[in-house]
Amino acid sequence: MRVYFFGTCIGSMVFSNTCVNAIKLLQREGAEVIFKKDQTCCGQPSYNSGYYEESKKVALYNMELFKGSEPIIIPSGSCTGMMKVDYIELFEGTEHEEQARKFSNRIYELSEFLDKVLQVKYNDLGEKTKVTWHSNCHALRVAKCIDSAKNLIRSLKNVELIELEREEECCGFGGTFSIKEPEISNAMVSQKIKDIQSRNVEYMLSADAGCLLNISGAMQKQGVNVQTMHLYDFIAQRIGIRG
Amino acid sequence: MSEALKQKYHNIVSQKLEDKQLRKNLLSVMDTLKGNRKKLIASRFYDWEALREQGKTLKQKNLAKLDTLLEKFESKAKENGFIVHWAKNSDEANNIVLDIMRKNNINKILKGKSMASEETHLNAFLKARGLNPIETDLGEIIIQLIDEPPVHIVAPAIHKNRYQIGEIFRDKLGAPLESEPEKLNEIARTHLRKEFKDFKLGLSGVNFAIANEGAIWLLENEGNGRMSTTACDIHVAFCGIEKVIETFEEASILNALLIPSATGAPVTCYNNIITSPRKEGELDGPKEVHIIILDNNRSNMLKDSHYYRALSCIRCGTCLNHCPVYDKIGGHAYLSTYPGPIGEVISPQLFGLNKFSPMLDLCSLCGRCSEVCPVKIPLAELIRDLRSERVGQGRKGVVGTDSSTQNKAEIKAMQSFMQIATNPKKWRLLLAMADFLSPLSKTFAPLIPGLKTWTKYRELPKLNGNLHQKVSKMQGVIYE
Ligand code: SF4
Repeated sequence: MRVYFFGTCIGSMVFSNTCVNAIKLLQREGAEVIFKKDQTCCGQPSYNSGYYEESKKVALYNMELFKGSEPIIIPSGSCTGMMKVDYIELFEGTEHEEQARKFSNRIYELSEFLDKVLQVKYNDLGEKTKVTWHSNCHALRVAKCIDSAKNLIRSLKNVELIELEREEECCGFGGTFSIKEPEISNAMVSQKIKDIQSRNVEYMLSADAGCLLNISGAMQKQGVNVQTMHLYDFIAQRIGIRG
Repeated sequence: MSEALKQKYHNIVSQKLEDKQLRKNLLSVMDTLKGNRKKLIASRFYDWEALREQGKTLKQKNLAKLDTLLEKFESKAKENGFIVHWAKNSDEANNIVLDIMRKNNINKILKGKSMASEETHLNAFLKARGLNPIETDLGEIIIQLIDEPPVHIVAPAIHKNRYQIGEIFRDKLGAPLESEPEKLNEIARTHLRKEFKDFKLGLSGVNFAIANEGAIWLLENEGNGRMSTTACDIHVAFCGIEKVIETFEEASILNALLIPSATGAPVTCYNNIITSPRKEGELDGPKEVHIIILDNNRSNMLKDSHYYRALSCIRCGTCLNHCPVYDKIGGHAYLSTYPGPIGEVISPQLFGLNKFSPMLDLCSLCGRCSEVCPVKIPLAELIRDLRSERVGQGRKGVVGTDSSTQNKAEIKAMQSFMQIATNPKKWRLLLAMADFLSPLSKTFAPLIPGLKTWTKYRELPKLNGNLHQKVSKMQGVIYE
């Protein structure tokens, strides 16, 4: 099976090791991964600020770049939501609506693809540990792919998943929101951190680079000692893939 | 967006964030309300999602023929003996109340809960003319005593805990210091009883106006609403045009959605369905009932292909209860009668985008509001659409769009984002630079706009941007 891999902008800027691990997880299941060297960003920064014209241009660029019929795999629920659901909304009632719908059908968040399409079975090689999980809002409510991520975590036999009490609450990242309203964003992430601390776990996992940057950055600033890790780095580590 | 206006928002947000008591109160009440709602839906509803879908569909159907429904409501209501008024804006609505008061020589009005009358600033309007509006809803009494507007559309004084309320009653009413809810209720009751004794004019809102019957339906928990609408000679009801629906059956569906969403209780204590003023031979009820049907730019919203859905709102307030921003800053920080997610959608449209556009930033687009709204209004989507109105890329029908000022720096930033994101060479150059600059970026972070605010509360991530290099060398990857 051939698949496109879309590394996302934060993925290629800050989480490149995660992207490498994500690709290895796909290869491990026998997928042939195509990496378009001209890939950029899904267009969320402009979209969420209401710049629809600019966003349409970025969306059209992506739909052209990833043309064909191969599935497009994204290691981020947030960008998955954008390309799968928001593109359709963006082009609603325009000549590109049909194209956006077809494109949407090819978009998968990586955990969804591993869990639902490839139905992976992992052999957990790690020590016993406790983790908690942060749901990205876009993944939860737009892409709706959180179940798969949790299924993967739960399938690791030595990992105990302890859910957050405020799992459904936003961590305050929200892309440009954290820059436009830093004080409110800080109040939100601080509440999230309290919740994480209260779970007494070794790791906090998430499959979204933006939320991870936000939560781990704030934890460092506040001197909180819970390790944060991207889901795909965690899985890779547990099953013995070297990043 | 003008800088002064933005600054005004910034100041009040900071002030509210620093108010530890406020945040504690809000968090605890919101947690309770959310918890109650969730429990109730899980235990008492067989298919909540289907009910939501029904509510959404029926509201949309009614909105699609609102003009004929309004006419029908008017004629049926008149047949029933109601006096129906039309108010294009706040001023007209307030003046109708003023006329009624003057004509009947009344200088005091007892008010049940009505957000529409908050929207028209009726209290201030009447006070400026020497008249006396008295709130009777417990929450409204509390905030009227300290001269504050409602902080929430359902629970106006939710930002105060019972100890603070006890102090307010002691300071303003000379009551003994209490903090037990029953005792506090007792104080409010005694305080109000004397007002209720000889009052002539009562005011209320409307939850549902039923076109087929020409009747109005009011919900409340305290009984004061029933007093305000029955024990007086004249009753005035404020009704937004969107409250009109076709049938009683539809109203009962909406009712079943509203109460669980609002408080997590299955039903309210009082359902008042008013079908006419006092009839011949009846012993009580007002002799005159006026219904003021208020537009205030609602018909403008109705014209828009997306925004009209916000008129489905049944004012349950659950979008506020679930908003992660609202529970940190409280309703007053939105500087509008309508705060929270629904407030962000309707305030700019009712009162002008130019005056309320900064409130659109008080949202991380997490989408939880849309997820819980009982009539499925896509609130987050509409907030984003309004942001596009703000930058001049929307459908341009929102009032006050023309005089809304633009943020030139942001426009430029977004344009260059688009240019780089559609130009792979430039994009790769940016990645390479980011990687190269990584050790320096920490030093310069406070100087770069955006990064500066980011690093105030968070450590900067280690940039690790050589993905292309890594991937191009990976075995088996087609790098093309
Ligand atoms: S928008 Fe929806 S959730 Fe918010 S108050 Fe209205 S009906 Fe309730």
